[in-house]
Amino acid sequence: MIKTVNLSKVYRTDEVETTALNSVDIEIKQGEFVSVMGPSGCGKSTLLNVLGMIDSPSGGDYFFNEKEVGKLSERNRSDVRKHNLGFVFQSFNLIDELTVYENVELPMLYTKVPANERKKRVEELLEGMSIMHRKNHFPQQLSGGQQQRVAVARAVVNKPKLILADEPTGNLDSANGDEVMKILADLNASGTTILMVTHSQYCAEFGNRIIRMLDGQVVAVNVVKRYL
Amino acid sequence: MFQNYLKIALRNLLKQKGLTAINVLGLSIGLACFSLFMLYAVNEFSYDRFHDKGDRTFRVLRWWEAGFAGRDEAGGDSYLPMPLGPALKTDFPDVEQFVRLREAWGENFVRANGEVSRAGVQFADPSFFEVFSFKIKYGSPSAALKDRYNVVLTEKMAQRLFGESNPTGKTLEIKLEDKFEPYTVAAVAENPPPNSTIQFDILGNFERLYTTKFGEGSLNNWNRSSLQTYVLLRPGSGLADNSKQLLGFYQKYYPDQKAALQKEGSWKGEGAPCSFRLQPLREMHAGMETWGENAAEVDPTGIWTLLAIAAGVLLIACINFTTLSIGRSAGRAKEVGVRKVIGGGRGQLVRQFLTESLLLSALSAVIGLAMAQALMPAFNEMADRTLSFSLRLYPEIGWLAVGLTLLVGLLAGSYPALVLSGFKPVEILKSKVRLGGANFFTKSLVTTQFVLSIGLAAATLIIVQQLHFMRSQNPGFQRENVVVVDASDTDSEKIYPRFRQLALQQPQVMGVASAELGLGEGTGWSQSGWAYQGKQKNVYEYFVDNHYMDVLGMQLLAGRNFDPKFATDTINSIIVNEAFLKDFGWTAETALGQKLEGYYEGSEKPLPVVVGVVKDFNFRPFKEEVKPQLFHQFSDYAPFKFFVRLQPGDPAPALAALKLAWASAESELPFKYSFLDENLDRFYESEARFSNIIGWAGGISIFLACLGLFGLAALAAANRTKEIGIRKVLGASLGGIVGLLSKDFLRLVALAILIAAPLAWYFMQKWLDDFAYRIELHWWQFLAAGAGAVAVAFLTVSFQSVKAALANPVESLRSE
Repeated sequence: MIKTVNLSKVYRTDEVETTALNSVDIEIKQGEFVSVMGPSGCGKSTLLNVLGMIDSPSGGDYFFNEKEVGKLSERNRSDVRKHNLGFVFQSFNLIDELTVYENVELPMLYTKVPANERKKRVEELLEGMSIMHRKNHFPQQLSGGQQQRVAVARAVVNKPKLILADEPTGNLDSANGDEVMKILADLNASGTTILMVTHSQYCAEFGNRIIRMLDGQVVAVNVVKRYL
Repeated sequence: MFQNYLKIALRNLLKQKGLTAINVLGLSIGLACFSLFMLYAVNEFSYDRFHDKGDRTFRVLRWWEAGFAGRDEAGGDSYLPMPLGPALKTDFPDVEQFVRLREAWGENFVRANGEVSRAGVQFADPSFFEVFSFKIKYGSPSAALKDRYNVVLTEKMAQRLFGESNPTGKTLEIKLEDKFEPYTVAAVAENPPPNSTIQFDILGNFERLYTTKFGEGSLNNWNRSSLQTYVLLRPGSGLADNSKQLLGFYQKYYPDQKAALQKEGSWKGEGAPCSFRLQPLREMHAGMETWGENAAEVDPTGIWTLLAIAAGVLLIACINFTTLSIGRSAGRAKEVGVRKVIGGGRGQLVRQFLTESLLLSALSAVIGLAMAQALMPAFNEMADRTLSFSLRLYPEIGWLAVGLTLLVGLLAGSYPALVLSGFKPVEILKSKVRLGGANFFTKSLVTTQFVLSIGLAAATLIIVQQLHFMRSQNPGFQRENVVVVDASDTDSEKIYPRFRQLALQQPQVMGVASAELGLGEGTGWSQSGWAYQGKQKNVYEYFVDNHYMDVLGMQLLAGRNFDPKFATDTINSIIVNEAFLKDFGWTAETALGQKLEGYYEGSEKPLPVVVGVVKDFNFRPFKEEVKPQLFHQFSDYAPFKFFVRLQPGDPAPALAALKLAWASAESELPFKYSFLDENLDRFYESEARFSNIIGWAGGISIFLACLGLFGLAALAAANRTKEIGIRKVLGASLGGIVGLLSKDFLRLVALAILIAAPLAWYFMQKWLDDFAYRIELHWWQFLAAGAGAVAVAFLTVSFQSVKAALANPVESLRSE
């Protein structure tokens, strides 16, 4: 599903040049759950943004479903994004002026899903995440865990093939964090590919593989062994 | 999706109530202001459009070419001789009908229900209601002026004279020339619409004039021009554009004019000096085509100037919207980022933000129109109009209002929409976008606002000063404490001696004089032109009595005043002013005894002889230079105005006494008076109106600009909370922080002063050039306007900066 060759990203300001990604070669197959770990500033989030097509690489190739997408225009990337990808952020990034229901519905407005279908899907998801009773509340009225569940619901509502999660449990206590991880694991079990950046070894082990990064480079790839 | 936009727009507006209020209030005021001016302009340009046959109705003008009789510009005169209308109909098969109109000359005495009052009476051919679309309320259009002694009253006049709306069939008496005669009210017309050039209160049958002294002298006289003539052409006629045919017609009735003018030196050109032209009805008021001097009542550039000023005010309000939207974009960045990440395209975001600004502009339009409605009476008074938001009178205001709302929404919202939608999601999510109101674009917008405001403020200051100058300047005679009694249309020659004698018995009365004409706006003037030693001369003439100079306090420079001892004084003695001397090339000494050669061409009358010279005085507005002027006492004139000089102080007892004196001299006709200084001040009504309008526009624009500045300062303070906190922790003083926050804005205002001053200087210099007597421009006028703007701006900004500076630094640092 995802393949990068020699992928790099360099940030330039007037005086400083920072290499955030340096010749990254990775491959992720359909149905995998891959975690990315590494210290702050190692380039994890940049990798996620580039793979999520909200940022463009400075060099190298990025193949998504075997098509090169690294050099697409913003308009085309946005098109690929809205049909294939879902995002979960550490700070939830819900729109404060929209209710829970409206936040989850929003991506379907951009993909022009008919109204009755939208209603059905939103309610199904909210039901599944046990927050149906709060559908008319605004994000500020929810707990962190509830907000992140809404964000996950929003990420999956368009049935994306790939979910990109940037420290989804970073702002949550362990109980709520666990719950979110379980939801992600369930999604993966039902076929959705997941790429997650995290600081937590515990969370990372929900995945099948862990990519370890340092100073913009991939330094190791571990396979997670589960002892059942 | 649209629903989603609306929802989020409303929630955002409600979330930031303060800024929303500033935006809506500002836009509402801007829109209210603009819609009033727009209505004014629509009204001006909609004059005379309500006539059903308006597209083939024309007013006839006598057209003169530049150079004719010493005139600089070509132009048209709508006062024409009596036989013209019938001749046009006879000579041109294209002319379906004509209407001659004699306007009211001052006011006539009218007796209804036994009571005498003054009212304007006009006379028109019976075809009046066939050609024009004035609506008849009671009676029929065809019978309205059928009989010579029929009159049509407007509803207003019917109510005034008879106290009822339908007095058809009743009789009223009108004093025409020297006696009251009965007329029958044959119809009542609806009041003429405010946007009609032709206005009337009482309309008589034109044929009635045939048997008056005026009519007898005019009936077949092509050289007496005092009537308006309108023609209705047959459908498809091209006569209006056929200047050759019209010239041929002109030359048929004035065969010798060109040769005569050439002989006396009034025309040196090759072609014809004069012809007739047909002016479309709709161009009589504010013709977009230039109809030369006299032909259009209102100069269209004046209307466009007012509209441009109003557009400037609206622009300031739109700029507020733009700068404040950019300023608060920080709060919207996350939303933009999220929307983009989950698939929102730029176009969709642009549409979303435009929806918001359109919503706001629609809301403001509703409030603005309500404000305009509430301000309408005051505006009408200021503009001297009777405007209303009537779709019947002005069908175009419907789409103009919708169009304006859309335009304002797009204008105010497009830049913020483009900026906000252009944010890169990754930068927003990394918090790398630098937000706030301080980019070059916002700065130039704020500067533009202050350029406009300061410019208008300086203009107001200068106009008010010029106005004050004209009103307070010594006109060369004593204008205060003079009562002018109107004796026009009365037997004034008989009334005057008795009135004068009785008035002088009052201790408060210092002197009484009489003249044919009053002084000041609307009191008329008379000018005569003749060829003096082969040169065309135009001179203002005043018939006065021998007390006039004393009562008005004019200064004699040479010779003598009129004196009953000299029998010749009522035959051919004249007194002239200094401008007259200059025009004729005399001095005060050489003037005495000079004869006005050529004054009576082809007559044996004794020529006027100069017996005295007076110092120039401003009998016309200060706009004009003093023109050559001549005073006489010729016996064939009558004194229609009595000038009574009172002692300073409360005039009420003297006025009561004058009223008694009048009643004893003239038992029936009512007493009517005015004050000389007020009549003179009325010369400057249009300037006073202009200064009022500019002053309001300037005040409103400064208010709006400050409103915007207030919002921007609040945003700047909010965006710099952390910086302020750190500075305070490090020991910055209150003054230091206020200075820090105010400095940026004040710098913009200072820049605005530098741009506005030369612009205002240029335009005001041009405006003042129209005045023969004017103030000079001084640097301090611009400094005063600028200093005012700086002071107001500083107060506005410092309110916010003091608030920010007084905040507890711990709070501000924690909030980051």
